[in-house]
Amino acid sequence: MIDAVLFFWLMFKAALFSTSGTGNLPILHQDLLARGWATDRNFAESLAIGQISPGPSGLWVISLGYLLDGLRGALLTLVAITLPPLLVLAINGFYRRHGDHPALQGFVRGLSLAVSGIFFVVLAGIMKTAGWNVANVLIAAGAIGLGATRRVPVLLVLVLAAAVGIWLG
Amino acid sequence: MSRATDREFAEAPGSAPIPETHVQPPPSAWRQLWIWLNIGLQSFGGGAATLYLIRREAVERRGWLSDQEYARYWGICQIAPGINILGLVILIGWQLSGAAGAALALAGLLLPSAAITIMLTAVYSQIEQVPLVQSALRGVVPATVGLGLLLAVGMLRPLMSASRKEGRASLAVTWALLVGSVLMVALTSTPVVAVLWGIGGLAALASWQRAVRQRRAQ
Repeated sequence: MIDAVLFFWLMFKAALFSTSGTGNLPILHQDLLARGWATDRNFAESLAIGQISPGPSGLWVISLGYLLDGLRGALLTLVAITLPPLLVLAINGFYRRHGDHPALQGFVRGLSLAVSGIFFVVLAGIMKTAGWNVANVLIAAGAIGLGATRRVPVLLVLVLAAAVGIWLG
Repeated sequence: MSRATDREFAEAPGSAPIPETHVQPPPSAWRQLWIWLNIGLQSFGGGAATLYLIRREAVERRGWLSDQEYARYWGICQIAPGINILGLVILIGWQLSGAAGAALALAGLLLPSAAITIMLTAVYSQIEQVPLVQSALRGVVPATVGLGLLLAVGMLRPLMSASRKEGRASLAVTWALLVGSVLMVALTSTPVVAVLWGIGGLAALASWQRAVRQRRAQ
């Protein structure tokens, strides 16, 4: 049974201490897996659903909330991710005074560096759960190839991958 | 952090030219909600599509803010917590009608897209156990990993090219921080938040040092 208050706090904390729609992913991955509330597969599923639904891609986490704790989880997540961005109003004033300071610009760069670095670790974890076999590596490579063209819609990439999955049985 | 200070800033001497757009009265609350709802409903295809629609509405069609303001707001959102696009619509909504404007923007953008996300997930969890869905998922999971890899590389590329322009030392620091973050998370059980802010802090120090050295060299 998932504790609602703790669940809300984890979702809130992950959004508060990171930036961008996927910056919270590494934090959530660590926190939720440690408590046994989520699996690697839940992350892959919710990322895929987030890719095909409208709006900011950061809404994948609402899908994760639903998978873990039903409608309650989704709604708790929705509120938890809406609050931290409000701090932008305070940051707006700060940035106006110090926005061109090299330390601030460096901090932003370091944050993004770490997010993408940790992303590689999380993705490797999901791949490990799915199995590092030839078929999976080829599907991932195919998705990279199609996605890199920027001409193929994400939905189509996922539909093709699903078809390959069905074909392989 | 009120609209009054926003205006003071816009009219401060030496700052960016006063955008004409401030002269227009903001649209009614219903109108604002309607515009945000439309953006929320239309933006299939991830954050880039949403961002495009917001820009088209706020800058090009409605003239709520100038190109420079838009660019400045988007820059601020890069350091704001959470989803950057939510920060952007909060800033735009606030500029239009204060707290009410920000609430309308959030509600309009989030309600339709969050509802659709929830519905899609609900449908998925109904059919999740169907064998056909199970085998489809065996293809979708590795594809998601591939797309995630593209996303991470897309995040990295501008950072790398910016630090390459600053010279070899900066590029080395950037690589060291990247590899450091990977190793810390893969090999130790350091809390991810600590890694994010630790790497951010180190990068801030490095960038500051470089600026100081450059100033001395001049």
